[in-house]
Amino acid sequence: MKDGFDVTSRLGEGAGLWFLKILTGFLVIVVLVIHLIVNHLIVPGGLLSYADIVQYYQIPIIPMMEIVFLIFVVTHALIGLRSVLLDLRPSNILLQWINYGLGVLGIGSIAYGVWLVLVIVGRG
Amino acid sequence: MENHPSRPTNLIKWFDPRHRSLGTWAFILNRLSGLGLTLYLFIHLIMLGQLAKGPEAYDGFIALVKNPVFLAGELLVVAAALIHGLNGIRIGITSFGIAGGKQKQLFIGFMTIAVIAIIYFAIRMFAH
Amino acid sequence: MTQTWQVTFEIFRKKGDQPSFYDQFELEVDPDEYVLDGVERIWAFKDRSLVFSHACHHSTCGACGMLVNGVEKLTCITTIRSVTKDGGVIRVEPMRNFPVISDLSVDMTTFYQRMERVGQQPVVSVIYEDSKGKFDPDDDLLRLSDCIECGLCISACPIALTTSAYVGPAVLAGAQQSGDLNPCVLEIVDSENGAWRCHSAFECTEVCPSHVDPAWRIMNLRKQLVSRRIKKFFGVK
Repeated sequence: MKDGFDVTSRLGEGAGLWFLKILTGFLVIVVLVIHLIVNHLIVPGGLLSYADIVQYYQIPIIPMMEIVFLIFVVTHALIGLRSVLLDLRPSNILLQWINYGLGVLGIGSIAYGVWLVLVIVGRG
Repeated sequence: MENHPSRPTNLIKWFDPRHRSLGTWAFILNRLSGLGLTLYLFIHLIMLGQLAKGPEAYDGFIALVKNPVFLAGELLVVAAALIHGLNGIRIGITSFGIAGGKQKQLFIGFMTIAVIAIIYFAIRMFAH
Repeated sequence: MTQTWQVTFEIFRKKGDQPSFYDQFELEVDPDEYVLDGVERIWAFKDRSLVFSHACHHSTCGACGMLVNGVEKLTCITTIRSVTKDGGVIRVEPMRNFPVISDLSVDMTTFYQRMERVGQQPVVSVIYEDSKGKFDPDDDLLRLSDCIECGLCISACPIALTTSAYVGPAVLAGAQQSGDLNPCVLEIVDSENGAWRCHSAFECTEVCPSHVDPAWRIMNLRKQLVSRRIKKFFGVK
């Protein structure tokens, strides 16, 4: 019964991605508030020098929090970016490239961030 | 039935608030701030790579960004984050039918908070 | 005492594949008349080639939706007084996001097919419609449902602007109103061109001339879809 309908590509943003976007959005707010309070208000000096940062990252909960934050933010940002790109009506093939590109960018950013955190922890 | 003809002007119409009401402003602000923040996210990640280069690189970088131009840019990021975050809360609440019919009031309320917070941060950042 | 105003109507014209343009007509009107009356007088006495959709002239059929000075309006209930002043201009254009057949008339075929498919109920119990689906008594008075299928909400929606694959607020509101989420209906509303495509601009509710509140209905529909999925996940019927 497809009268009057475009054939759906099933490559868009269904319930799962939408829900993940909302969930990660909410989690970003939670972790961001913690991140800001801790980084800029509790820490004396406000983390403005290299030495301060390395020392700060020796506390185990800090790198864990930063990595979790990174995962949530990257996920939310890239799903959101994808929503905007979907509104530009890419062809199915282009959309597959976009999915692939965003996936690589997302995983790459998270991997890079985790590496960076571990490097800083290791400097202490 | 084919798609109505694709016109480039459709894209610009996303961001055209004329003859539209409050909800469109929320949509536009959220979309612009979201795109801006995504760009900032990746710039920020790259800049943090400076940390890996050692103390001279990072501390030199910090000295650079105390420059007023960078501070203004940072304020823009803070503003975008406040707008996008508060608007996002509004969208999350309405999307599950919790807010009742109050989405306009929510938008005005949250944006007022955002403006106050932006002014507060502006004063804090530029007061020295 | 009736007033008389001099008003200029700027009417969007488009025939076939010719480029579109605007025709100007000077009219003497009573400001408490409706925009549709002005358009009809232009057709009757000035230009018989003007094509526009209209039928009941009392906000029941949903045929006369147009853009008046850039805003979606049901022209049979939009007074001239409410959109301009004496000596002013009224710009009349066809609704957005529908293919233009001719001048001010648009093609609503796909839209009507989708409304039928989601099972929007034209006649409902008073309490059911007034409560937007919360209460469903069997033995109540009946009335015509709010949605008149005018399409103004789809014209105002920024997502419908980008693609005609998005089914649009009226269709989603119709699915919520019908209360019957069978697989046939779910196929279009629980999809990436259905309820998940809405970006909460709320323009649809803003322009609806008939108290349907499609934005609220889309959110309520989402709530229902999410709870269905959760129930399915845990194996609850």
